[in-house]
Amino acid sequence: MGKWMNKTINPSVVPESEDHILIEDLARLAEGAVDAAERQHLIGHLNRCQRCYQILQETLVDVSAEASMQPVSVPWWKTRMFYALAVSIVLVLLIGGPLAIKHWIQSPPVIVASLDLDQTLKDILLEDDALRWEKKERINRLLIALQQRGLEVKDLNLVLLSKPYYQKKSLFGPKEVLHIRIENEVAYLEVKEKD
Amino acid sequence: MDPEKLLSSSDLLVKIETVCKRRFSAENDQNECYVYVIDGLKADNFQRLRAFKGKSKLNTYLYSLINALVVDFRRKQYGRRRVPAGVAKLGKWAETVYRFVCWQKFTFDDAYDFLRVEGLYTGSYIQFIQEIEPIKKAPCRENPSFQSLDETGNSVLKNINDVGANPLEFLIHKLDNERRIKAIKVIRATTAALPEEDQLLVRLVYGSDQSVTAAAKVIGLAASTAGKRLKRLLTKYREKLLAEGIREP
Repeated sequence: MGKWMNKTINPSVVPESEDHILIEDLARLAEGAVDAAERQHLIGHLNRCQRCYQILQETLVDVSAEASMQPVSVPWWKTRMFYALAVSIVLVLLIGGPLAIKHWIQSPPVIVASLDLDQTLKDILLEDDALRWEKKERINRLLIALQQRGLEVKDLNLVLLSKPYYQKKSLFGPKEVLHIRIENEVAYLEVKEKD
Repeated sequence: MDPEKLLSSSDLLVKIETVCKRRFSAENDQNECYVYVIDGLKADNFQRLRAFKGKSKLNTYLYSLINALVVDFRRKQYGRRRVPAGVAKLGKWAETVYRFVCWQKFTFDDAYDFLRVEGLYTGSYIQFIQEIEPIKKAPCRENPSFQSLDETGNSVLKNINDVGANPLEFLIHKLDNERRIKAIKVIRATTAALPEEDQLLVRLVYGSDQSVTAAAKVIGLAASTAGKRLKRLLTKYREKLLAEGIREP
């Protein structure tokens, strides 16, 4: 508070009457809920009575402080959250839009992986010696096996094996690795011995 | 409204606590204020709370009521305080200096200016500095650094307020002692000559730093109208100050 102005123009400390403004009238005045004639009377008193002036001005401070601390109810479309969300969506579209378009235009990604040839995979490979798998059931078993091993393959229509797979006799023989390349829902398989 | 229930509600108790904390810096004063207000609200079978007729919002009424009790409490507190005998014997001017500096935490320089405005001291500043020596040595519980004031040549408790938004305060701040005293007299006289509504508007906005919106509500004006009126009033102050040869340095 400006100390000079406060001291200079506050109501003077002339002897005050005991006839102060009623508390409820001060409250009404703070709310602006008095008629013109009454207001004139009250203002005249306030300019001469330091006590009533002090109560009024401190009430104004407290009411306004409380109001500023309470959350203001605003329509949902005027909330910060809404604007933040709208801006986020625009940014996502601006930044992600071209990427998404690129993604849609581009051919699906090629998946390349190497898996240790375990018994489940061996069983699938040993089912028959066809190099081109067309049986849906066998293809699906391979698909599930690959998904279980963490490959993000959604679907397979065809499996092409580079050469027929035969079980190795040796128990301690070299470990085998299945090299897989999946492109356009076609899986290319090749079994190689691990070094 | 059940006053007993109202007084035990956490909402009202928080209000009282908040107001007391806002008005007093010392924890002891805050606690005494809290107890004083509660006692005041309980007095005569909750007579003050029962007096609410529903003409205003209960919230505003409660704040007005709490503030009325706080004002009474503060006056009782000040009334209880005694200016030390060593200061009192120097005269009214010395008592005023003690009140300003010890109780209201103004600087001795400020006190000198206020004394001159009130016509309580007619001596020079050099004289004043010499004569306040015994006051500086007086005990002051409210302001422990009171005795060391001005020891460094600076005003330790220089009460620097945010004056940027208050053009009249800003002007007074920038003036030297002599012109400040003159300006204060001009502003006081100009304010006293204003219509009652304008006086209160200026008091609330420039004397008590209320928002124009809050002051406008009290005066019964739209905020924009009150803003325009304040501009017009500032022009009037400026003219009066210029007529006395006071301009911004």
